[in-house]
Amino acid sequence: MEYDIKFDQVSFRYTDSDTPALKDINLEIKTGEIVLITGPAGSGKTTLCSCINGLIPHYHEGDLEGKVTIGEYDTKNVRVGGLASIVGMVFQDPESQLVTNSVADEVAFGPENFGIPREKINKRVRKALKATRMTGYEDREPHTLSGGEQQSCVIAATYSMHPEIYVLDEPLANLDPQGRAKVLELVTDIASEFGKTMIIVEHALEEILPYVQRVIIMDKGTIVRDGSVESILENGDIKQVFKRPDITRLAQSIDLAGFPLKPEHLISAMQEKYQLRGVAQTMDHARGNGKGDPVIVMDNVSHRYEAGVNALHEVSLSIHQGEFIALLGRNGSGKTTLVSHIIGLLKPTQGKVTVVGQNTMDTPTHILARHVGFCFQNPNHQIVSFTVKDEMEFGLKAHGIDESEYPDRIQRALEIVNMEEYADAEVFDLGKGQKQRIALASVLTLEPEMLVIDEPTTGQDPEMTFEIFEIINKLNQKGTTVLLITHKVDYAAMYAKRAILLNHGHIKFDGNIDDLLMDEALMQANSLELPDITRLAKQLGDYGVPANTVHYEDMENYLKQMVEVNRGN
Amino acid sequence: MAIEYRKGKSFLHNLDARTKLMIFVGGTVIAMIIIDPIMMGILFLALYFLGRDAIDNQVLNNNLKVLVMIFLTFSLFQVLWFTPKNSYFLFYLIPWKNWVPVTVQGLIRGVAVFFRFFSVVLAVHLMLYTTPPVELALTITERDKKRTILSTIAVILVLGGIFFVAALPMVTDNAVFLGIQQSGLQFAALAVLCILFAWIVLKVLGRGLPAEMGVALMLGFATVGIMAKQTEQITNAQKARGYDVQPKNIFARVKVLTALLIPIFLATMQRSQDISIAILSRGFDYNISERTYRREFTFHRQDYLVLGILLFVIVGGLILERVGFNTPTESFILSRLP
Repeated sequence: MEYDIKFDQVSFRYTDSDTPALKDINLEIKTGEIVLITGPAGSGKTTLCSCINGLIPHYHEGDLEGKVTIGEYDTKNVRVGGLASIVGMVFQDPESQLVTNSVADEVAFGPENFGIPREKINKRVRKALKATRMTGYEDREPHTLSGGEQQSCVIAATYSMHPEIYVLDEPLANLDPQGRAKVLELVTDIASEFGKTMIIVEHALEEILPYVQRVIIMDKGTIVRDGSVESILENGDIKQVFKRPDITRLAQSIDLAGFPLKPEHLISAMQEKYQLRGVAQTMDHARGNGKGDPVIVMDNVSHRYEAGVNALHEVSLSIHQGEFIALLGRNGSGKTTLVSHIIGLLKPTQGKVTVVGQNTMDTPTHILARHVGFCFQNPNHQIVSFTVKDEMEFGLKAHGIDESEYPDRIQRALEIVNMEEYADAEVFDLGKGQKQRIALASVLTLEPEMLVIDEPTTGQDPEMTFEIFEIINKLNQKGTTVLLITHKVDYAAMYAKRAILLNHGHIKFDGNIDDLLMDEALMQANSLELPDITRLAKQLGDYGVPANTVHYEDMENYLKQMVEVNRGN
Repeated sequence: MAIEYRKGKSFLHNLDARTKLMIFVGGTVIAMIIIDPIMMGILFLALYFLGRDAIDNQVLNNNLKVLVMIFLTFSLFQVLWFTPKNSYFLFYLIPWKNWVPVTVQGLIRGVAVFFRFFSVVLAVHLMLYTTPPVELALTITERDKKRTILSTIAVILVLGGIFFVAALPMVTDNAVFLGIQQSGLQFAALAVLCILFAWIVLKVLGRGLPAEMGVALMLGFATVGIMAKQTEQITNAQKARGYDVQPKNIFARVKVLTALLIPIFLATMQRSQDISIAILSRGFDYNISERTYRREFTFHRQDYLVLGILLFVIVGGLILERVGFNTPTESFILSRLP
């Protein structure tokens, strides 16, 4: 049976909003298509997905105009549960979708709701777990799995419902590179093998474009571009809405035809068109490279959780004033455990941690917090007030700062995160990126000497990610020591000088991040993905391109140097 | 220490969830019927050794230790206030005023009450430690409407039998029962009434909770762990901002609690919204009355054995009470006293 998706003049406005989330959407997605929907945060992508599975209008309240049909069904007339047998939905945060106590129960939940006999449910569960490579996880508790495993579990739970249409709303956002590749391969395998319709909302264009047939770009509730991958790339970037992958943009910058997505394709096209010459002038960038006194020292630190899990093993390191350090490693490698020791949230079961000379064993967290600002991954866990102003004052009050200093400190902190006009705003009206910046600003009011930041860019669009890294970099340049947990190796390489790589609680690398980029085997073994620009640079090493190149502008410059004479001709 | 499910392969772990629920219900009934301290002690020890086999001794003992003082206090009240007529007087607790007499019967009752409370609490602990919460929720949820006639008859007969033994005093006092004087007919009428009552109880209780409530309960159990983790993350986030979450001053503690409550409340609201969206997207409202379940509940030999023992003890307890042999320890001690 065919289940084409049709949007006919669809507009939607949430009850508590003045502006429409979708405006006059006309769209048709044929059965079996694999479609990417992309666009900046707040462009209406999730709202569009919610229209497909009936959460709009049946769950989210608001004014829906126009008509959405799935096959012959008008979504207004069918319950969400009814549509769930046709449309399987996977959301951004896997943990929020896990509702039972075991993986097997989770996968069985959908078929149970459909009233399928027990024997068939068990068969579906086995098949779904096999398809998602989760066999053997049946009795595991879902919330104890890693991010990638949780997302696989959610996909298995959707797969077991045998939907005709899969809608995946940012399924890669919370995953490390290895988890991302695994999930992407998984869903596209399902789509191509069984001819299912697949709609994927994502920002990670480099990874996803090779798998999709069609791209829809959204902005401010409208579809601003819709077409094949080639036609979308051909029409170029859209400022603050859509930026093509770096490799494609580089190809265009040296007048190459076609739309290469991988470094090797770009090199072939270059070699075909041009007589390549060596690079004469290379670029250099100053990066956070503190040479001050040690401010954090971990001496032979191990940590064992009560459940018996050894999360850190004999970790020794020292962090100097003014350094910008990227803490890397796959999900579950011990990164958060390590930084939790710095602020005293966890105490070492062996060894010693000193922060500005104070042993964390004897110093309470609220005292250590005077020196170390800590930003958590989820800003909602940090925010305690209803208005931005109150939120900014919270830390100041906790530290007993003189009230007369409040206005200046708050103003300065808001300026750093470019949120000064939001001082009187309600915190919970802000978007996730804005909340993340407010959470950071509230830490900055205390003017800490050191900043520990845990994955600040999870689920952010590329513009916001860039902005957050720029803010952190600005602070580092002013002298703040930065220890940043991130999966974004490309950004880490652009801003940090030093990288610490963790694997199962062991430090596997501690040194110049350029050296890490050069060690491909180590990168792969730790599920770190080399940025496309660096991969390209490595392959162009014979032409004098520095192998540690990470900046787009640098690579563009090198490529232009390589083809200059030819173009001059 | 939180009382939560711990994986294992013990005798208790291998029992059907319904059997474990019946151990709790049956244990409570037995604790109400039996008032002899030695019998209650044996019941407690039986449960305790089952528990030792199923879960870490330290965990079990730590949880029980907390309750010792509370139950000793309850027992003390029994010792002090249980002074039936013609009881064997030992001494006054406040001798200079002749206040608060302590009797042999009071002491014996105190010991019995101590074991009685412990047995009931232990039965609950064992059920929670050895049964996945989802199974507990499903045990009390309407699942399989098809019950064979034979099993229905068997359950009605067992239930009716228990009611019959419990109600026997109504027909053995040589009084008129329901206008019937002849004792044979009285027994027959009581048996019919008990079976009828058992049938009604089975109809009312046998259906279980509606599927919506059962699934809600199951989701609730599953959420506990996640919410605990989230609460810990929120507390850590506040500590990391320099907030002293454990101040010595009691008023400051209340203030701290308020600061933690806002994000915890919001996280809970968010979680409930996430769950609603997740379960709707996975067909929760497809046709709830026809919902099926992956988990299968089947009685095995050990389940029948446990249920048989429970039944035997309950019926035995009722009979002993009826024949006036429900306090053998007390009778024995009194017979040895001058």
